[in-house]
Amino acid sequence: MAEHFAEPVRQHLYSLNLGPQHPSTHGVLRILLTLDGEYIVEADPVIGYGHRGHEKMGENRTYLQFMPNTSRIDYLSGLLFNHGFCLAVEKLAGIEPPERARYIRVICAELNRISSHLLWFGTYLMDLGAFTPFLYCFDDRENILDILDRVSGSRLTYSYCRFGGVTRDIDDVFIEQTRAFVKRLRSRWKDYHNLVTKNVIFIHRTRDVGVIDKDLARRFGVTGPNLRAAGVPFDMRKVEPYEVYDRFDFQIPVGEKGDALDRYRVRLEEMEQSCRIIEQALDQLPDGPYRQERVRLKVKPPRGEVYFAFESARGLTAYYLVSDGSPYPYRCHVRVPSFGNLHCLTEVFRETLVADAISILGSIDIVVPEIDR
Amino acid sequence: MAAREEVVRRLQELLGEAALRPDEAYAQGVSWTVQAPAPSLPDVLRVFRDAGFYLESITGLDFKDTMEIVYHMNTYEPRSRMALRVLCPHDGEVPSATGLYDSALWQEREVWEFTGVRFSGHPDLRPLLLPEDMDERPLRKTFGTVHAYRKREEIYG
Amino acid sequence: MENQRVEPVIQFALLDDLLNLARANSLWPMTFGLACCAIEMMAAGAARFDLDRFGAGVFRPSPRQSDVMIVAGTISKKMAPAIQMLWDQMPHPKWCIAMGNCAISGGPFEYDGQYAIVPGADLIVPVDIYVPGCPPRPEALTQGILALEDKITQGEDRNLLRRFRRMGGTS
Repeated sequence: MAEHFAEPVRQHLYSLNLGPQHPSTHGVLRILLTLDGEYIVEADPVIGYGHRGHEKMGENRTYLQFMPNTSRIDYLSGLLFNHGFCLAVEKLAGIEPPERARYIRVICAELNRISSHLLWFGTYLMDLGAFTPFLYCFDDRENILDILDRVSGSRLTYSYCRFGGVTRDIDDVFIEQTRAFVKRLRSRWKDYHNLVTKNVIFIHRTRDVGVIDKDLARRFGVTGPNLRAAGVPFDMRKVEPYEVYDRFDFQIPVGEKGDALDRYRVRLEEMEQSCRIIEQALDQLPDGPYRQERVRLKVKPPRGEVYFAFESARGLTAYYLVSDGSPYPYRCHVRVPSFGNLHCLTEVFRETLVADAISILGSIDIVVPEIDR
Repeated sequence: MAAREEVVRRLQELLGEAALRPDEAYAQGVSWTVQAPAPSLPDVLRVFRDAGFYLESITGLDFKDTMEIVYHMNTYEPRSRMALRVLCPHDGEVPSATGLYDSALWQEREVWEFTGVRFSGHPDLRPLLLPEDMDERPLRKTFGTVHAYRKREEIYG
Repeated sequence: MENQRVEPVIQFALLDDLLNLARANSLWPMTFGLACCAIEMMAAGAARFDLDRFGAGVFRPSPRQSDVMIVAGTISKKMAPAIQMLWDQMPHPKWCIAMGNCAISGGPFEYDGQYAIVPGADLIVPVDIYVPGCPPRPEALTQGILALEDKITQGEDRNLLRRFRRMGGTS
């Protein structure tokens, strides 16, 4: 590949428009590629095709009214975004949720994280041309959705958390279902590894492809599994433990090189760690109220600001809320992880093949409406 | 932790003690808040970059009397996030961070198209998220329905 | 919007019924997800809900190969011209399903002062079936597709073959 680029004159450059409607761009992403034969010389992602103005909506809704928006920013990990927004407002307004609510939130959030990673697993392999894993992982994912559907009433956009608790208590059936699911998922790892991880075609398409090393990640603000695949154990659940994450024993899986295979391994291992968190949380689940009754629906935080960072399925996410003492946020900024993760592709795509570009794009796991907000 | 102390020490030399404000309780999610004048921004950001910080987010705040750009910088160590705040007038300019941080390329484009603050020295300042024919600045408080338009001291005073 | 459903001058009743039956039972949707609803569309096509049972599970990446466009998600002003272009590329006969509140009327994102979205797919393309929900469950999409199949075969009253088949089945 290096010799190819050593040629001084490149006279057959041409442009290729990938998207915005393209099966492998995961929604409405458009990338303008400048190609030299099959090699990418320059990639310019054009984003904004899913822009819905969440931040402006935040300014003319109350804090609670903005809650449904949060699960629509990143719809694959909607509960994690709910959770983070709840924690941000609670920190700003000084609300203390009861213990039981904290555990319920963590359990549901981790279930949501697994469902997000499972969906990534399926769609990524579909991008690589494997159709069967897609059906397998959707089968497992439906189990999670059933569990969450039962407590929150929605399959995708939960709005389950409330300031000072959750909307509904969990019961024995939920606990039973969750334990059964964890057991079931563990029995599936073998299938997944046999189907995919040991597959020679898969390994050849991902090893040494799309390397994001530490330096590149720092320059572009890459976070989440993509950063951890490069060997940096940076996870907000460990680094700045929020909620009750400091009470659980779990590891942060890291990769070595930061190629697509490492990112795949990190995400698969993360699902197992989430299972461990869920099990421990279920064991420790205390009795008591599931929400604080005295919280007003129209929360009025005091004047000031908060920048609350948490770990969503795709990386470090943060809500930056500025309050002027009224029930409406003065400014509501969302720091989304996919933004940096996608931006770094302008660098990673350089000098790769178009076929690899699809593999790289799938491996970093972006949600386009999250980037566009 | 070392990176944070290093940055605090060098910034105190550069900007003076009064420009930095600690937040030991981490109540706002940042450990230190740095208030810097706009012209010194490249020097301040260079201090951050040399210490190994990455640029986490850029936010534009619109107040009646001024605009404020807030940079959140972070390292991979616990509790080391720092906020860097720069004031500028509504039609003003702020030096670009693009030479130091590649992630500023997109984030500054976004702040520019939503608030109208220009970043001088940005190589490619064109709309990022909005359609190309959009000539409004949606996150200005003068656009659309907003609940309040306040002066800066009404919130931070 | 000009009327895109021009009835042919000469009609072959039975042949048309036959063709419509075939069309209704092999709807090929276009892979075209805009936002949240796209995930439910994928779920509808995947293991549990299995759109293939109704002949609508063959998602095609190209508009040239597809019969039905499922507008699944919020249409931003930047995306609207692309949707129009995709719709124009689809060969006749073609149908459109507006999936989710955003594609029906803008949904939760339509409010006074909204600057970014087009409130409703019917402002851009002619919509046949509206599937409400935010996002609609896969069952709802399945019902929407069944409703579209009914619309294509013009129901049991109009379609001779369907009526014949039903009579044969019941007697």
